[in-house]
Amino acid sequence: MTTTLGSTTTTAASARGLTRTYGAGDNLVHALRGVDLDLPAGRFTAIMGPSGSGKSTLMHCLAGLDAATSGSVTVAGRDLAGLDDTALTVFRREHIGFVFQAFNLLPMLTAGQNIVLPLELAGRPVDRERYDQVVGVLGIADRLGHLPSQLSGGQQQRVAIARALVTQPDIVFADEPTGNLDSEASAEVLGHLRRSVRELGMTVVMVTHELDAAAYADDVVVIHDGAVTAHLTDPGQDELVAALRGRAA
Amino acid sequence: MRTVLVASMRHHTRRYVAASVAVVIGVAFIVVIGMLTGATRSGLTADAGAPVSGVDLVVSPDAPRDTQRLVDAAADGGFPALTLGYAMEPVSRDGVQLAQSVDVAEVSLDPRVQWQVLEDGRFPSAAGEALADVNRAKSNDVAIGDVVRIGSGPAATDVEVVGLVDSPAAMGAALYVPWDDLRHFEDTLWVDAVAWGGTEAQATLVARSATVETADGWVAARQAEISRGVDVIAIMALLFVVIALFVGVLVITNTFSILFAQRMRDFALLRCVGVTRRQLRRAIRLEALALGVAAAALGVAVGALAGAGLVALVRRWFTDMGPAALDPVWTGAAFAVGTLVTLAAAWLPTRSATRVAPLAALRPDTGVDVRSAAGRWRLALAALGVSAGAALLVLAVAASSVPAMLAGGIASFVGVLLLGPVLVPRLIRLVGGLPGAGPVRRLATGNAVRNPRRTATTAASLLVGVTLTTAILTGLASSRTAIDKDMDRSYPLDATITAGAAPLDGALVDRVADTPGVAEAVGLDGTTATIGRVDVALLGAGRAPGVVRGGADLAPEDGVLLLPYDVVQDLPARTAERVWDDGEVTLTVDGREHTLDVETASGWGRSGLVSAATLASLDPDPQPMAVWARASDGADAEDLSGDLAALAGAAGADLDGGHGNRSWVYLQVDILTGSVVGLLAVAIVIALVGIANTLGLSVLERGRENALLRAMGLTRRQLGRAMAVEGLLLSSVATMLGTAIGLVFAWVGVQVMVTAVVEDAAFTVPVWQVGAVAAVAALAGLAACVLPARRAAAVTPAAGLALD
Ligand SMILES: Nc1ncnc2c1ncn2[C@@H]1O[C@H](COP(=O)(O)OP(=O)(O)O)[C@@H](O)[C@H]1O
Ligand SMILES: [Mg+2]
Repeated sequence: MTTTLGSTTTTAASARGLTRTYGAGDNLVHALRGVDLDLPAGRFTAIMGPSGSGKSTLMHCLAGLDAATSGSVTVAGRDLAGLDDTALTVFRREHIGFVFQAFNLLPMLTAGQNIVLPLELAGRPVDRERYDQVVGVLGIADRLGHLPSQLSGGQQQRVAIARALVTQPDIVFADEPTGNLDSEASAEVLGHLRRSVRELGMTVVMVTHELDAAAYADDVVVIHDGAVTAHLTDPGQDELVAALRGRAA
Repeated sequence: MRTVLVASMRHHTRRYVAASVAVVIGVAFIVVIGMLTGATRSGLTADAGAPVSGVDLVVSPDAPRDTQRLVDAAADGGFPALTLGYAMEPVSRDGVQLAQSVDVAEVSLDPRVQWQVLEDGRFPSAAGEALADVNRAKSNDVAIGDVVRIGSGPAATDVEVVGLVDSPAAMGAALYVPWDDLRHFEDTLWVDAVAWGGTEAQATLVARSATVETADGWVAARQAEISRGVDVIAIMALLFVVIALFVGVLVITNTFSILFAQRMRDFALLRCVGVTRRQLRRAIRLEALALGVAAAALGVAVGALAGAGLVALVRRWFTDMGPAALDPVWTGAAFAVGTLVTLAAAWLPTRSATRVAPLAALRPDTGVDVRSAAGRWRLALAALGVSAGAALLVLAVAASSVPAMLAGGIASFVGVLLLGPVLVPRLIRLVGGLPGAGPVRRLATGNAVRNPRRTATTAASLLVGVTLTTAILTGLASSRTAIDKDMDRSYPLDATITAGAAPLDGALVDRVADTPGVAEAVGLDGTTATIGRVDVALLGAGRAPGVVRGGADLAPEDGVLLLPYDVVQDLPARTAERVWDDGEVTLTVDGREHTLDVETASGWGRSGLVSAATLASLDPDPQPMAVWARASDGADAEDLSGDLAALAGAAGADLDGGHGNRSWVYLQVDILTGSVVGLLAVAIVIALVGIANTLGLSVLERGRENALLRAMGLTRRQLGRAMAVEGLLLSSVATMLGTAIGLVFAWVGVQVMVTAVVEDAAFTVPVWQVGAVAAVAALAGLAACVLPARRAAAVTPAAGLALD
């Protein structure tokens, strides 16, 4: 375990009795069934589970992108339940960074413009030092003037990570950031995410269903059918496989 | 394929709304015009035969003399004859003018040709009795038993209203008097034909060169003539339909292009699973056909309802309009046009959509970014259109050639439209990049220009309406200055009250000045002269009073007499000849003879004008003989002439002047302006539907992107504002471009069409009107994005991210 910034005891985000349902009546779907979860700051946490288990829903609720049906979510010490849409939006742009599986970048903006977009939306000045640092860590300094369509999938995801990091958020959420990439590019992107935790002291929460991806994380949260079944700290490969299997069996 | 077609149409119904709205409006527009002109035609031609129903023949005399001869011959022969025509005369009651110009026709004393439908009272039994149209009588508060005076001057005739009639449009008049009264108004009387109860031989005996035809033939010819008149109006209106449909095609083409771009993956997938290109094309065309048929049918229904409503509304004021009816041919044509326009508009987008490679479905999708660039041939064509058009416009101005102007206008406008994908995004960037831009404006600008062709087509649809409206408003305003000058020349005075036999009361000028609607009034002194047994008031007009409009010179030099043409015409032949040939006249004032030089002109009533010095030499003690008044701007012509006629009547003086005519001409210009703007408004409404549609579809298309932005920290309000700014940028750039082009076209039009006729016509920009059009168009663009913006803002980021 590395302790670069803050302490391992601080919680970056937590959920209590988090429930999210879709639809009503016969079509009622329980995407989340009362999730209790604490995500420690300064660590790289992977949320794992099979497809349809509620990973994305959990992340959306934790990140204030979607409202919980019941239960509470606290991010950076702030209860999200009391915030209206505008306050939530402002909170997001100040405290949370995002990396999605695809469609991460606005097609009409260059890589550089995409990176500073959240700052621009917030009306905040660009911290040059931070920008150069982030761009340097992600190795995209020579791609900043390109449009997304001129970048490879791996490069696009690195630009997206740079964008998530440049605002110095309290927590970065990544939803299957390598889902569209080949194994080489995946490894690169995952390495960058881990470096951002180790070298830049960020907190990263990544949703994935790939075992290889989870191997880069410090902690692993296992979710099955809308419920958290395990929260492992620095698991070994076997421990992880067992946790995933154990539930499946 | 059928299941795919039905499923996809059901899935995309809402996205087709804009395209169908454009078709519905266009088709409804055609149907409404058909119903309005149809109702007008049937109203005007109905009962056109009533006046000749009692006779077999109609005689069209060649000369006014023949009319009298025919009437006399009928009286001698004991068979009926009725003149078909009318005189236009002022009508007053108890010295108060009821109307300045009223149509007066004949009512026969012979019951066999008394065709009018009596509502109340009885038919006249002798000269001096009259029928009045029941509607006109009501609006002028005239009742049976009233005595009205028709005409002015020596022709003035008092008649008693003895009956009220309901008369049809074609041959209707406001008043009907027996021939012995009517013939007094020979100055304004125009007889088209005589309904003839005798034989052809009896007619040609007295009127050798008259044309004789059967009553039925005459009625058919008249109805055809009326129909042709209505047809001309219908064709003019159809011109605006064409403009509206052109805009509609732009909107529909754009809608299809956007929809197909969004469904590109579906199409590619279909191709992957074995659908041939031809099958795909057929399916899409069938979709367009189904849409066209549905929208056209809806358009016919909407048009029929709107047309029936409009006709009913118009009939409340304009009783000559017939009942509303759908003409099957016209309606069928409207339906076909709507369907064909939809099919045609879908043609090009379908071709490019079906060119999609099956592989496109398998390619990873990096967000929707359908870039479309302007092809080289397109730019070359645009350059050709603009330069050839400009050259033609220059030629048109140089040679005052209307065909060159039209060709040049169309060529250069098409050039501008083709140039759109290059021009419009640049302008949008320019406007969007004005200082003070925040992230919202930058975002909006970026979104507005990311698809140049789509943006250009959307802008083009609005451009058409704004350009034409601006050009026509400016052109009409400029011709109005020409009309102004012409009016000032023909009617230098708004109102004149000229003494008859006795001089005027000196206080009359103050009473005139106090009349509402009078800006300024001056009194003129004068005397009465006799020229060849005709008494004429001579006015000393030396001081060039401020009531005279324009640069008209109503101040003759010493020793010169300025006489109106119509006074000269009334002089005995020898005296008149001397005026025309030698420019001299001898007149008698107070028993003494004087000979003066004469110049002729018109515009100040029945009086002669001399300089003050000349007047003093003619009569050492001149009396108040006339009051000249200038109306204030916007004074109501009827009210003013009524008030002044009362004053004039009480003083035994004659009222004259050009205010009524001037107001009437201006009213025509205003009606023309209003109708043109109203008809063009349809094109603008369709264009706005197009803007709303482009933005609305963009919202769907950019669902993921917007969700991303929202996740990134764009507030709901910022997103809504970005949409609004995008719409505003689009509409304001189209409006600015349209206004600029419209002004250029108007300038050329004025040079070619107005300056050629009236050399000192000024190019006048009606700043307020043009500004209002620009503001309405630009703001309507803003309004067009209210719904799309709402829809965009309503999506939660999480839902947006899940979109596909
Ligand atoms: N918008 C929605 N409407 C209805 N059901 C949904 C919606 N989004 C997700 N679900 C359902 O919720 C469950 C969890 O979905 P999700 O969080 O996307 O799973 P994961 O990301 O783990 O694959 C699934 O059963 C899915 O079908
Ligand atoms: Mg998921």
